[in-house]
Amino acid sequence: MDYLAEKYFRKRKTPSTACSGCGLGQTQKMLVKAIDDLGLTLEDVIWGTSIGCAGRQTFGMWRGDGLAGTHGRIYAIISGLTLALPSEKKIVCTVGDGDAFGIGLMHLLNAARRNVDVTIVVCDNLGYQSTGGQYSWVSPAGSVTDSSPYGMYEPNWIQDGRDVLNIIREAGATFLARHVSMDGEFGVQSMKRAIQNKGFSLVHVVFPCITNYANTALGSRNAVTMFRWIIDHSCRLDEEQKKDTIWRTGVYHDTSNSRLDFATLMKNKLEEIQRRSAS
Amino acid sequence: MKRYLETGNFAIAEAAAIAGCRLYVGYPITPATEIAEAMSKKMPQIGGYFVQSEDECAALHMCIGGALGGFKAMTATSGPGFILYADPYGWAIGSEIPLVVVNSGRVGPVSGITGSPGQGEFYNVRYPTQGGNYETIVLAPNCAQEAFALTVEAFYLSERFRTPVTILADQLITDGMEDISIPETEDEMKQMGLRLKEREINYGPEFFPPTDEIDIPPAVLGHNTGVLCSDWTPTEEGYDTEELEACHKHVYRLIYKIRNHKDLITRYESIFMDDDPELVVVSFGTPSRVVKAAVKKAREKGMSVGALRLISLWPFPDEIFKTKATYLSVEFNYDGQLVREVQRACPKDSEVHFFGQCGELPKISDLLELFQSLLDGKPISAIKWQREAW
Repeated sequence: MDYLAEKYFRKRKTPSTACSGCGLGQTQKMLVKAIDDLGLTLEDVIWGTSIGCAGRQTFGMWRGDGLAGTHGRIYAIISGLTLALPSEKKIVCTVGDGDAFGIGLMHLLNAARRNVDVTIVVCDNLGYQSTGGQYSWVSPAGSVTDSSPYGMYEPNWIQDGRDVLNIIREAGATFLARHVSMDGEFGVQSMKRAIQNKGFSLVHVVFPCITNYANTALGSRNAVTMFRWIIDHSCRLDEEQKKDTIWRTGVYHDTSNSRLDFATLMKNKLEEIQRRSAS
Repeated sequence: MKRYLETGNFAIAEAAAIAGCRLYVGYPITPATEIAEAMSKKMPQIGGYFVQSEDECAALHMCIGGALGGFKAMTATSGPGFILYADPYGWAIGSEIPLVVVNSGRVGPVSGITGSPGQGEFYNVRYPTQGGNYETIVLAPNCAQEAFALTVEAFYLSERFRTPVTILADQLITDGMEDISIPETEDEMKQMGLRLKEREINYGPEFFPPTDEIDIPPAVLGHNTGVLCSDWTPTEEGYDTEELEACHKHVYRLIYKIRNHKDLITRYESIFMDDDPELVVVSFGTPSRVVKAAVKKAREKGMSVGALRLISLWPFPDEIFKTKATYLSVEFNYDGQLVREVQRACPKDSEVHFFGQCGELPKISDLLELFQSLLDGKPISAIKWQREAW
């Protein structure tokens, strides 16, 4: 077993029940590597998840305290939780693309507005895969899925001029990055910066779904085909974009620690009001 | 004791503070907005937090978050907001999270009439979320002073049973101005029969034991207990599972921790019930105040009438409907909700009638006329309510 799994994960939940060839493990490993690199322990981190592939597969793996919220609501739950927790606790969340950019987007934007101290890793398998493979708001244009048999023709939130990360940046997030699950150390560096930001950080990571997406959209259940396909359609932000690039990887926005996180702001205000009332 | 001429909303906020509430999250809605306003002022003064959320769904989820961090938390709304609680309410029931929820009823359906009282959520508060397999605790005050007492009690019960407790009020209770006494010392609290219970922490490893026992501390994150809580069926340790046997164990607890300790929850008021009256009038909330006055008048006129006023609504107190009589349910709705439970609980050969209207209280004179008709064995449709359609 991987040394990181040995150190941080529960035996009962390792290995995960993800499908063969799934890229979720790569994504999760980047996050755990970042946690380990920062010297954080089981006591320091609370791990939150949501539902769907990303939520269900990662729930309960972390050997420390963990929670899973209902569809799209983990951002509201975390907003309340940070108020009650000691300031030094770190919260990381592994959630799906449907959860973050679909059903939960309003809660996510409000958590960004408040600058809630959390690192959200959006594990994007290009659609709703645990329900059998339907398109999401970040499925690439034209994707053939079980709910878009003629290709996904609705405007999505991943194209130029309509990038969901721009919406979240405008909402007030203080750290934003995008990666593909094959990014390895490049992704780990972003996740470390995300965790070190005492505020709202989001890292969007695209990973391959072999069982559903590869099968219907790419016409192959060969894992290598889809891994290659994602690599071929991504390039780093500092590299020249190719014609068929879908995902540009790297740090999109970093104003880490430039404004108070929600819980600190609330604590400070509370003390201020109490001082004022006393005098 | 400090006395105020204030609203039920004010009373509820004061009660929450006394009960140890440290997080209030709410979304403005008539007629519960003033609870949020009062809490926005009160919470920081006592070291607690007030947050105005993006919607009611987020409000209760944020309360869940706070409760998972160890806070006592509360939210308040009216019918249109209460339905948005469906999502988090279920989460809190399943993960057994202590919370207090206030629902001040107005006239429905949908947004209906915002500024008038209604009792359209009698069943909504029993079934606040999907999926079944649970019991709920619901308390129903009929005045501001009782709203104060029951809010304190709701916090107490939520800790003992580790579950959300709903207070079902109505617009007249929360918006109406009344004489309210707020205790200032522990002795005064005891005199008023108020009970408090501190938040405790569950150190595991069995966070969700398959037992009907109460007084088990809830899951609290951040104490390195390795606690897991989720929206899925949990194993005893909190792992998500698809096993039917685990589900059975889990929901056995959710149902029977409440059913088997119902005596700790049930509250009602008996009015002229000692001589087994022929007619028993059943009600809760504001209408019960008019019913009480009408029953007193009826007794003065020599009518054989008594009343049962429900203070706890759910679990439903079947046991107080054991006498054969003619029952009349007086409600703040036109469709008849409480009456269905009365009919289910009372002896099979009892007659059960319904009188309901929304927005305004029934007149005492109308009720007296109604009582007389029923005692004479006449139909009650002659008065302005045309028929008993429920």
